[in-house]
Amino acid sequence: MNSEAATDPITLDIIAGGLQAAGEQMFVALRRAAMSAIIYEVLDAGSAITDPAGDLVSSGAGIPTFVAVLDRAVKCILALHGREELRPGDVFLTNDPAYGGVTHLNDVVVALPVFAGTELVAWAANIAHWNDVGGMAPGSISTDAIEIFQEGLRLPAVKLIDAGRPLRSVFDILRANSRLPDFLTGDLWAGIAAARVGERRILDLVQRYGQRAVERAIDREIATGEQLARHRLRALPTGRFELEEEQDGGAVFTVAVEIRDAEFIVDLRTNPDQDEGPTNLSRDGATIAAQMALMNIIGLQGSANAGHLRPLTVLTRPGSVFDPTPTAACSLYYETRIALYDLILRCLAPHLGDRLPAGSFASICGTYIGGRHPDTGRHFTIVEPEIGGWGASQSHDGNSALFSPVHGDTFNCPAEVAEGRYGLYVEQLALSGACGGAGEYRGGRGITLDYRVRSDGCFLTLAYRRSEHPPWPLLRGEPGSSNYVEVLRRDGRTERYRAVTTLPLSAGDLIRIHTANGAGVGDPRRRDRARVLEDVRNGYVSTAEAQEVYGCTL
Amino acid sequence: MTKMNNEQVAASAATIRAATDVGGTFTDLVYFVTDHSTGEQRVVTAKANTTPPDFERGVLEVLMRSGIRIGEINSLAHGTTVVINAIAERKGVLTGLITTRGFRDSLEIARGNRPDFFNLHYVKPEPFVPRYLRREVEGRLAQDGSERWPLQLDELPAIIDDFRHEGVQAIAICLLHSYANPAHERAVLEHVRNLWPEVSVVASHQITREWREYERTSTAVLSAYVQPIAERYLTRLSGGMRERGFGGQLYIVQSNCGVDSVEKTSEVPITMVESGPASGFWGAAELGRLIGESNVLALDIGGTTAKCSLIEGGQVKITSDYWIERSRLSAGYPILVPVVDLVEIGQGGGSIAWVDDFGKLHVGPQSAGALPGPAAYGRGGTAATTTDANLALGRIDRDYFCGGEIEADMDSVERALGPIAGRLGLDITEAARGIVRIANNNMVNALKLVSLNRGYDPRDFTLVAFGGGGGMHAAALAAELGMRKVVIPRAAEVFSAWGMLMSDLRRDYFITRLVSLAPDQGAAIRALLREAVDGALTQFSDEGIEPERISFRQYGRLRYENQEHSVEVPIPDGQLHAVAIKDLIDSFHQAYEREYTYRLDAPVEFVGLHVVASAEVGKLEPTRLAVTGRSLEDTRRPNRLVDYATEGIHEAAIYTGELLEPGMSFPGPAVVETKGTTVVVHPGNELTVDDYGNLHITLS
Repeated sequence: MNSEAATDPITLDIIAGGLQAAGEQMFVALRRAAMSAIIYEVLDAGSAITDPAGDLVSSGAGIPTFVAVLDRAVKCILALHGREELRPGDVFLTNDPAYGGVTHLNDVVVALPVFAGTELVAWAANIAHWNDVGGMAPGSISTDAIEIFQEGLRLPAVKLIDAGRPLRSVFDILRANSRLPDFLTGDLWAGIAAARVGERRILDLVQRYGQRAVERAIDREIATGEQLARHRLRALPTGRFELEEEQDGGAVFTVAVEIRDAEFIVDLRTNPDQDEGPTNLSRDGATIAAQMALMNIIGLQGSANAGHLRPLTVLTRPGSVFDPTPTAACSLYYETRIALYDLILRCLAPHLGDRLPAGSFASICGTYIGGRHPDTGRHFTIVEPEIGGWGASQSHDGNSALFSPVHGDTFNCPAEVAEGRYGLYVEQLALSGACGGAGEYRGGRGITLDYRVRSDGCFLTLAYRRSEHPPWPLLRGEPGSSNYVEVLRRDGRTERYRAVTTLPLSAGDLIRIHTANGAGVGDPRRRDRARVLEDVRNGYVSTAEAQEVYGCTL
Repeated sequence: MTKMNNEQVAASAATIRAATDVGGTFTDLVYFVTDHSTGEQRVVTAKANTTPPDFERGVLEVLMRSGIRIGEINSLAHGTTVVINAIAERKGVLTGLITTRGFRDSLEIARGNRPDFFNLHYVKPEPFVPRYLRREVEGRLAQDGSERWPLQLDELPAIIDDFRHEGVQAIAICLLHSYANPAHERAVLEHVRNLWPEVSVVASHQITREWREYERTSTAVLSAYVQPIAERYLTRLSGGMRERGFGGQLYIVQSNCGVDSVEKTSEVPITMVESGPASGFWGAAELGRLIGESNVLALDIGGTTAKCSLIEGGQVKITSDYWIERSRLSAGYPILVPVVDLVEIGQGGGSIAWVDDFGKLHVGPQSAGALPGPAAYGRGGTAATTTDANLALGRIDRDYFCGGEIEADMDSVERALGPIAGRLGLDITEAARGIVRIANNNMVNALKLVSLNRGYDPRDFTLVAFGGGGGMHAAALAAELGMRKVVIPRAAEVFSAWGMLMSDLRRDYFITRLVSLAPDQGAAIRALLREAVDGALTQFSDEGIEPERISFRQYGRLRYENQEHSVEVPIPDGQLHAVAIKDLIDSFHQAYEREYTYRLDAPVEFVGLHVVASAEVGKLEPTRLAVTGRSLEDTRRPNRLVDYATEGIHEAAIYTGELLEPGMSFPGPAVVETKGTTVVVHPGNELTVDDYGNLHITLS
């Protein structure tokens, strides 16, 4: 069959399905080929296909907050290099928030312009967290950084492969700037291979159905996406909703969300000035937090495209924590982003019926442990988010032990694998016994995870939120518990942290990670008695709590 | 038994091999009677209703109904959904779990993932053992299998008392690092058996020697959960067969497409979890050997689902990456048992077409099932299915629907297609074409997942399509994928049964053991292999199977150091000297590059073994079809107009499949009709019949 005539709706649907599959196949390829656990297990990665102008067409799985990063990167590459200068076989890299990188320097975007003959038809792009891109601290993340230069190598949308020819000098610069150059090389090639998988699939579609048909399918997908989003928005109550919330460090974040005429406007202009430290979130990053909240609220499944996100407007103030200057430190942006996301949900939840559950543990709980592997002598680094408790809804208890709502099909590391790979002992991984999260529907449990350090000279870095201000309840439910870490020293001392950088650890020390229970919904005294008894039997609720909080004598 | 009809199949001069398959709706029986004097082979089929929860009744019923003399059956291969049903319907037994101290919640924590990633109302799959029945014992092994802390069994009596008191019927045991050293698990297992001899109990190392504690725990738990039920089923089935005079061999079809004895299967019944679906793929590999096609994409299209798998070099791919109830919406439950590497989608003849809120046409995954079935059945089905679309387009003969057994209700078909056409702004014919195209596209995507996505070019493969719907769609799918050749096996609708009867006794052993691939590590790998092979030989010899009958294939699972995914490469026989190690590494680089498009200059690591042990247990002997000299003209029925969707409407020659003989050939547009299936031959295709009655379609 050929090209121009074949633009009936069935053909366009088939092409759209093919583009979706191409995004997913790219993600599978990235995951299977990656060198670092943070990519293949934590899935701190994403993939997407955009149109020639960089508008999002489809995305693969991974972390939902990565879906709308890649369009920014492509747009920036286009602006910088010019469409005319692009050639088949080119590959670009960017990681800098000021150059379409959106997040922090560890997240590196690989973008490949897809040409049918001489014409640009699409982009295949992916993003993945690299373990180490240089900077002042191992893992490139430090709570002490005060400018981006301390956070690693900046890649301002640079060319890596020129018309199929790898630019060796660029590869050499990359390797020379990492503490883990072999991981970097493996992960980089995984990204390139994945982008090429995407390219092949897109070109298959062009060859099969013709370029015009593919273009039409893209336009139709985006138009349909916008229609759908606006349709769902019209079903929401209209109005302007505002909230301010104190953060663990004492800063107060504010948000005003306006829902009207199928528009969703998030106003962040009254927020504090940018931070001295690394918790700044780029304007693009703030937009993603709002996009995530929007996607949750309008209840979409699967992939997002540019159309779904068109009803959204985000207003920021340059120089603020949500729109900082280009050289602001940002390696811990992710806690600020989940704070903003959680703030938007909290602001809207009471007004949207049962659309949104109560607050979750709402922290990435990014944990970095490094040192010498006691068995192999090699250096190891753990870079992992933690799982925690989710908030209840008006019909269900919250989930226990899931990654945060900004994660997706992310997997934790099995203890049996971790012990070999990192040379630590995992002494326990259990559901948390902390109080908190009671309700007619109760919050899910967080976890307690123990790592026993086996060699001297190890370090621990972390920065958790919702350590001082627990997850938020709804309808007279109880707040959740707290995210924090205890270090139990060999000599019996116990230290408690919510944020620390390169804390020295010795053989025998125990790192005990606590994540929060999600918050409850409804008065605990209204909880079904049979369910309270079941909870007591299963040890989710203590006898004392059943009596005192749930008013249920046994 | 005395009621058996004496006129039926009387033939001590014949070998009878039978296969039964318990499906969701029907229990099928297929048997092949090979006449020793003429060499002729007849295929007989029979059906009975599936009879939950006592599935063995349906099996015995269909055997009685078929008229076959049970005493004359030489061997019976049995595929059953009893395990997957017990899990899917949550009808297993109350199960207790014993884990290492600090890990009883592993089963509930799972891996923390959430595939439905914009959905804040996601509900995590519920664990099969509630928390109050998950208990811990003290004692700890390290990753290399060495003991950190000795096992403490003093709390076990109290745990067992509690389990008894709570009504537990089965116990699963999973301790950390038992894949490396099962000593602690064995000790707990023995102790439980002493304390409570009647209880059904399984330890994870009896099922798998792979790492990942959640996956292994889930495997042990699901195995324990179904064990009493499966055991009871197998006991009743074999007892019932014996009572009715069966004296042949009874084999149970396994998920790795082999068969195994009733005794062995009863020990670890979870290996039956994909019993049945796997056999068609084994059949495709065997058929490939018979007709000289070693690279096959195999596709099985049934009423509700389509399944596909890739066969390279004559070998079916077996993995232990298997989940149940896993989808875009749910994390599902892992089971670490050897399962044929297949992709299954909700796409079959009964798949329902629907239009979403935004005017997009979809087909499946909902199915009309057997009741009410497609609208054309006239049993009250109002939804349009793929079968209805195929009828509307004349691809299925409305006057010979289901082999003439059902009168196609074409008014219902039109009524069902009407609203779809209306929503799409198309006429009924265009809507029907759309349904066929979308269904085909869904299947093309599934075929791509097992081929292109893993670095294989479908053009290097032959498409072998079977199941009731295989012939209907195969030629179109092959064209879409650029493939040159399609084979539709004879009796395609019961091809899975044929596959069962071609199966070997087969066991797959997966063992995790990290070994570096330094030139001097050959001995370590060889020792590990020896251990695996010896273990298998002991097992077989305990069952009275002589070593001469057993053949082994051995694969190393290699990866770049620190990577997650390993690639399987064959390990050569003989000493593993430095040169052999280097060859092993080279073949890894090659396999890796094919799958991932690049190779790295990085150290390669040996992660474990995959050893396949198989023993032939008396297969069906395929026989050539007799040639009577019938003319092609005598096989024809009146021409009719057939709508080939994107290729337009053509007047097609219609052939009666049962009358086709070896050597016959004809071009498309054509349709071959048999009682059980319809083969659509597109314009430009050429069909030839081979010596065994299989249909080969060559695409231009």
